[in-house]
Amino acid sequence: MCLSNPRVGRPICMKIMIVVLSLAFVGGSVGVRFPYRQAGLTERQAAAHLLSRFTYGAGPGDVDAVVKMGLEKWFMQQLDGNLPDDSLNQVLSRYDALKLSNEEVVKTFPKGGQLIRMAIRDGVVSKDSVKVDRKEYRDALQTYRQEKGYKPEQELFRQFICQKILRAAYSQNQLREVLTDFWFNHFNVSITKNDCAQFIPAYERDVIRPSALSNFSELLLKTAKSPAMSFYLDNFLSGGKGLNENYAREVMELHTMGVDGGYTQQDVTQAAKVLTGWGVYPMRDQGRGIVEKFSDEQLARRGFVHEGDFFFNANRHDGEEKKVLGHTFAAGGGYTEGVQLLEMLAHHPSTAAFITKKLAVRFVSDNPPQSLLDKMAKTFRDKNGDIKQVLITMVESPEFWSEGAVREKTKSPFELAIGAVRSLHGTIYQPYQLYSWVTRMGEKKYFYQAPTGFPDKGSYWINTGSLLNRMNFGLALASGRIPGISIDLAALNNGHEPESSEAALTTYGKIILPERNLDATIKRLTPMLNDPTLAKKVDEASSKTATEKGEAVMTAEATGNPMLAQVVGIIIGSPEYQRR
Amino acid sequence: MVSRRGFLKGGGLALFGIGLMGGIPAFMAEAAASDKIVSPYKRKRVLVCIFQRGAMDGLMAVTPFTDKYLQAARPNLFMQGIDLDGKWSLHPGMKAFEPMFREGRLGIVHGIGSPNNTRSHFDAQDYMESGTPFNKGTASGWLNRAVGLLGHDAQTPFTAVSLTSALPRSFYGDHPSVAISNLQDFAIQLRGNPAAANTAAKSFEDLYDATSTGLLHETGKESFDAMKMLQKADLKNYRPAAGAVYPFSPLGNSLRQVAQLIKMDVGLEVAFTESNGWDTHFNQGTDNGIFARNVADLSNSITAFWKDLEGYQDDVTVMTMTEFGRTVHQNGTGGTDHGRASCNFILGNNVAGGKVYGSVGELAVENLEDRRDLPVTTDFRSVFSAVADAHLKISDDKALFPEWSGNKAEVMKA
Repeated sequence: MCLSNPRVGRPICMKIMIVVLSLAFVGGSVGVRFPYRQAGLTERQAAAHLLSRFTYGAGPGDVDAVVKMGLEKWFMQQLDGNLPDDSLNQVLSRYDALKLSNEEVVKTFPKGGQLIRMAIRDGVVSKDSVKVDRKEYRDALQTYRQEKGYKPEQELFRQFICQKILRAAYSQNQLREVLTDFWFNHFNVSITKNDCAQFIPAYERDVIRPSALSNFSELLLKTAKSPAMSFYLDNFLSGGKGLNENYAREVMELHTMGVDGGYTQQDVTQAAKVLTGWGVYPMRDQGRGIVEKFSDEQLARRGFVHEGDFFFNANRHDGEEKKVLGHTFAAGGGYTEGVQLLEMLAHHPSTAAFITKKLAVRFVSDNPPQSLLDKMAKTFRDKNGDIKQVLITMVESPEFWSEGAVREKTKSPFELAIGAVRSLHGTIYQPYQLYSWVTRMGEKKYFYQAPTGFPDKGSYWINTGSLLNRMNFGLALASGRIPGISIDLAALNNGHEPESSEAALTTYGKIILPERNLDATIKRLTPMLNDPTLAKKVDEASSKTATEKGEAVMTAEATGNPMLAQVVGIIIGSPEYQRR
Repeated sequence: MVSRRGFLKGGGLALFGIGLMGGIPAFMAEAAASDKIVSPYKRKRVLVCIFQRGAMDGLMAVTPFTDKYLQAARPNLFMQGIDLDGKWSLHPGMKAFEPMFREGRLGIVHGIGSPNNTRSHFDAQDYMESGTPFNKGTASGWLNRAVGLLGHDAQTPFTAVSLTSALPRSFYGDHPSVAISNLQDFAIQLRGNPAAANTAAKSFEDLYDATSTGLLHETGKESFDAMKMLQKADLKNYRPAAGAVYPFSPLGNSLRQVAQLIKMDVGLEVAFTESNGWDTHFNQGTDNGIFARNVADLSNSITAFWKDLEGYQDDVTVMTMTEFGRTVHQNGTGGTDHGRASCNFILGNNVAGGKVYGSVGELAVENLEDRRDLPVTTDFRSVFSAVADAHLKISDDKALFPEWSGNKAEVMKA
């Protein structure tokens, strides 16, 4: 697998590290058996299916590696999710904003309005500057920002998005990344909401990723206490005189029990009262209120809780008795009753059904069979919401390997883009370029506005607005025309360039779509691509424009053989490649 | 999902305006064949919504210029614009709107807003676009629900189009709707190598035609049909009708493309676009400045669009919306802060225009919401549902706006 070293701009290639040592794991891999043969799959086909479900796509040689290691062992290693990621981490280390705590982020990246307010306060720009030169005004603000050491918020989001792409493409712990994406989407927060935007990088880093493979109630509690969620669903507002039900409603409807999970409006209101006072520890220098007057110890004695960014403000908590889902919370429960409530929700049978169905939709098919859902929900209930155990139950079920599951998921735009880079062993120098394509194909990551998160179904991703862009993406990537993404097509075939389009289709089809039957595709495409006049035109046009416009040619290898690039682009844009 | 999938073979219906394209795409034939409209020659009605993000200061756009309290509250921002009726004046930046108002095509609703008093942009936009002001978890947007309520099953890829880079909240939901930021991108492209793009396009079309995956097969067919249709329409050399000149702005550009879609008669029924920069906390300006530029862009874009639609105007209604209004008092930085009610504009030949609707009293402090803001006296849903009903014949208010049971505003002709 290749990683770019941004400073020298030279790819550092690293062999896929296969850690043969069996890592410590709950129960170990002994005894875990995947029933793929009963479903009529060969070991290699089963390995390809595993990779399609638990990684961002198989790269060249990955099927071999998984078969060699043993499918069960590979899966258990992914469940542990602790493989070394040294090269990746080295590349990520340049993203300085991503190391900051939430408080440091707030201090470093003042929002646009705040900056202007401070600039006006410091007399740098006038408040009546309508008539003045707009450029001068902007420049003054810019200088002010630099002098104060402030940075624009966009820089934070840019770094955050870049790391997402690099991790998805290159992390050895692919399942952890896939699940990080899944849980983020489940507990969705959105950069479109200004109040919570700055806290989202730390949300993913501290709340979601470390707990992606642990246990559901841990995730639920951590998200509930995070500034990102508190601001996104307004719980920080709730308390004192005003009750805000947004978080209480969504935590039942979207995070735990599901809309038909069996709660009432009365439960929502009562749950909102239980969660009053849950919010964020004051971060800015000014207006820190009560925390300035008293020490943490003094506050703790009065029932306040300060844990990292989380703050339970006892003064804003409704101390009366509440009743949620038939359970009575005695008056004066304070902070702990909120924890009890979340534990109760996490262990509700509706939650087991709702969460396991969502996992099955993510990993099996858009319409998973009820028999599978029943097994997964039972494990969820029996094993206390242990995510690993639920996934093991899923993969040990014949339904996971059945005809109705294999290749039945449609890749999201993000999965398509990252998967294509992985398929071609590409090197990403400028991750943001991929993000632009992913956005254009219909998935603006981190900007989904509603708390539902992106729908996880093929019919959402495939529409006329986005499908042509998927094809264009394949062509652009394969022909080296996405700036900052480098690929070497010849190297994928040990430096041999195929002699005909037909040979290219056969050879690269196997590399890019391992263990798929591409006979029909090859048969249909060969006459079209073999048209000698077309080949000539394509070559001519390619060399002509490259020299005429003096465009930067990203990789000589890629554009060196336009016909090969075209074949590969067509494979990536093909219907077969849209499925996983 | 609505059954746009599954195509009729050879619709055999002559479609209005299809001459320039040579052939009828399957989705058009299907849509026409299953339409409940009596005459196959009757064109689709189109609702065009423009979201003004950031919260427009309705009191500066359309000013109750005789109100002495407003004058006192805004020593640097108060101004009288174009007198509409002795009580209301239009910001001079919007002078392009005046003739349409006088002709009775342009209606204004003042005091419009949401019953939820949040002053968060995000929340208020979210609520307005989902159409459920007290429920965040509503998965669908109101315009997506409107698409589902159009009363005919078959739809084209262009039934609901948002001229934005990402799907807006209003369009979230199960009914087909697309975001397209630029119609010219609707093609198989390979920069610098059109010949290769051409071969690739043929290959893709063939592969998608042959695939056994229904969703990819059908969407592939629609995509290629749409692509060919747009290619023949020669978008690049489009010339607006009646000498209309669109502002060189994102909004002008979007509306120009909406006009192109309307004239191509590709089945557009709901269009969405947006206008940004209305969050005027600082240096709002008066007859010039930020706000003046914004309203000029808004009104000039809409006016150019309207002119360009010569011959199509009966089919089209334009409606603006914004998440809330701004404080009655100016703030300390030459601007206004987040408030409650604002105003909106509705343009169309079936609009009962030439009037400022709504109930706006004197702006004395005791009359204001929370003693600071223009109170919301018209629920946005009463206006949206009135427009959807009159223009798109969507009368199922319960489905369009669950949780709402008010009366429709009387802004449309009976």
